[in-house]
Amino acid sequence: MGTLRIAWRSIWRNGRRTAITVAAVGMSTLIMVVTFGLMDGMRIDMVHNVTHLVLGDVQVHATGYRADQSFYKAVPEPEAILDAARAAGVHAAPRAYGYGLVSVGHKSAGARFWGVEPAAERAAFDLAGKLAQGSFLSDSAEASRASRELVLGRKLARSLHAELGSEIIAVVQAADGSLGNELFTVVGILVSCGEDMDRSAAIIHARDFELLFVSGGRIHEIALNARGTVSPERVAARLEAAVTGKAELEEKKPEKEAGGVDIETWRELNPALSDMERLFGASMWLFSLIFFLAAGLGVMNTMLMATFERIREFGVLKALGSTPWRILRDVATESFVLGLFASLLGAVLGAACNLYLAHAGIDLSRYGDVFVEGVAFSPIWRAAASVEGIAAPSAVMVVVCVLAALYPAAKAARLDPVRAMTHV
Amino acid sequence: MGDSIVWLRAVTKDYGQGDVVVRALRGIDLTLDRGDFAAVAGPSGSGKSTLLNVMSGLDRPSSGEVSLDGRDLTRLSRSELSRLRLTRIGFVFQAYNLLPVLTAYENAEYVLMMQGVPASARRERVMGLLELVGLGGMEDRFPRELSGGQQQRVAIARAIASEPALILADEPTANVDSKTAAALLDLMQQLNEEKGVTFLFSTHDRKVMARAGRLIRLVDGRIAYDGEAGSLEALDADEG
Repeated sequence: MGTLRIAWRSIWRNGRRTAITVAAVGMSTLIMVVTFGLMDGMRIDMVHNVTHLVLGDVQVHATGYRADQSFYKAVPEPEAILDAARAAGVHAAPRAYGYGLVSVGHKSAGARFWGVEPAAERAAFDLAGKLAQGSFLSDSAEASRASRELVLGRKLARSLHAELGSEIIAVVQAADGSLGNELFTVVGILVSCGEDMDRSAAIIHARDFELLFVSGGRIHEIALNARGTVSPERVAARLEAAVTGKAELEEKKPEKEAGGVDIETWRELNPALSDMERLFGASMWLFSLIFFLAAGLGVMNTMLMATFERIREFGVLKALGSTPWRILRDVATESFVLGLFASLLGAVLGAACNLYLAHAGIDLSRYGDVFVEGVAFSPIWRAAASVEGIAAPSAVMVVVCVLAALYPAAKAARLDPVRAMTHV
Repeated sequence: MGDSIVWLRAVTKDYGQGDVVVRALRGIDLTLDRGDFAAVAGPSGSGKSTLLNVMSGLDRPSSGEVSLDGRDLTRLSRSELSRLRLTRIGFVFQAYNLLPVLTAYENAEYVLMMQGVPASARRERVMGLLELVGLGGMEDRFPRELSGGQQQRVAIARAIASEPALILADEPTANVDSKTAAALLDLMQQLNEEKGVTFLFSTHDRKVMARAGRLIRLVDGRIAYDGEAGSLEALDADEG
């Protein structure tokens, strides 16, 4: 005869009351599991959209580049870093940046030129697939050069009244102080990729960039993306080990500056996003407090009623030699069994809902492009059906049920056996 | 104290406070010896239940000394008293007081489980006890599926399961018919004679008193008679 079995039988003495409590606790768990799934889905989508679009898990710049974005602060020995990335099995995309003017007819605007390796971008990031119109740059420098290919950000294209096939005149100040200019043809227009890119991105092949800016092959940024296979911190640690020649320290946060380069994870590169991501988790638990409190009060009421109905029985148990601690434990065990049963029920139903929402999602496209803090969200809001997202609220609910039973359990444990046995 | 199990000296017990004080026990001196089969008799309110409660440590005396199996109950903590009741005292209640969610077997086993006796040893002992109290084959029945007499037999099995030094029975036959009462007394007497279990039971029933080896009569919280139960004439004389 196990304590759990006795507890199971005890909670079903009043079947209707227990069923109502189980329904309330189960429903609270279900709501929390689904909400956790949806919010986690949004969080993952948000981070994915940002890191997989262009940001990456980790970026490498020349020391101090991010502060002033000086054209002359190029990554020293970029090949070593690209080799290290390849050795670590991480995709890497080298980029060069420069500012200039773009004109179509009599419309002109400031632009930020991106010199990219299309094949590397395609392998490492989703940018090449984020086109509203047209196609991305050709992988081959010759092909790109021949067609003078250029991809524009969405709002920049709109402000220039540029369309696919539009000819764009680019005027820049080259690295040698000369005025660089070139004629490009718009081959692609990006979908919304965030405010900065939408307004200023003019993406060209790295080779074209080199010719336009007379950059001498300067690389300003190497963005690395492990695509979820390794954590950003681990990628940064591996790179640092490769750059400095020191052994990789798993737990240690890499030095920000190593060998003339800054190695930074996306959290350091975009602290606002990192904070928002962390806030998501915290706000979820805050929201859950309401449900935990409601469920806890329901359980407390049930256990109080059950305790009052069994005053004589507790008196008998004490007479037979049950210690106050044992009675407290037995009542708490009943609440644990009730909470476990209800939470499991809620978790299973919640997991089913999450699986459906992870598959089908909620269509938000009718509300147009959704941006929060410049971060684009997918038009289909999908839930994340993670084990942790289901187990964590369910487990906390069980704990809440046990805690809610402590007051009635303590009352039962403190009963005077003689008075309890004569209780009517 | 010789071979005594329970030893009370000048025990008083008051209930209430201030002007409203009910004196339930007024200076009880009593020794219960190992192997006794004793009955406590007396009218309602004479202090029978209070005496059993004080003896078992369920209630503390207002004054005086109570010793059970050589231990001074007035000096023990609540937990120590619980432990003492668990291991040294068995209870049989007027209203049976079985746990409704447990079967006959599980009710009888409960005290052993609290003592931490291994499952295999519990099973062997409890099955034997249920057979002994005449409930062989009924181990899986819940209390609601048993008659009053059968429930009281389960209660007796529960009381003797841990082989306590003393069994206190508060009006154990009050809720059963006379035939069942006689059968229960036969059972208790058999356990007393064959296993040496010490019994002290309170009762109103003269037939039950007559079966006791020793009769303690309480009147207004005092012992009015303590002697052989056979001499009921003496009791009657006392009452007169």
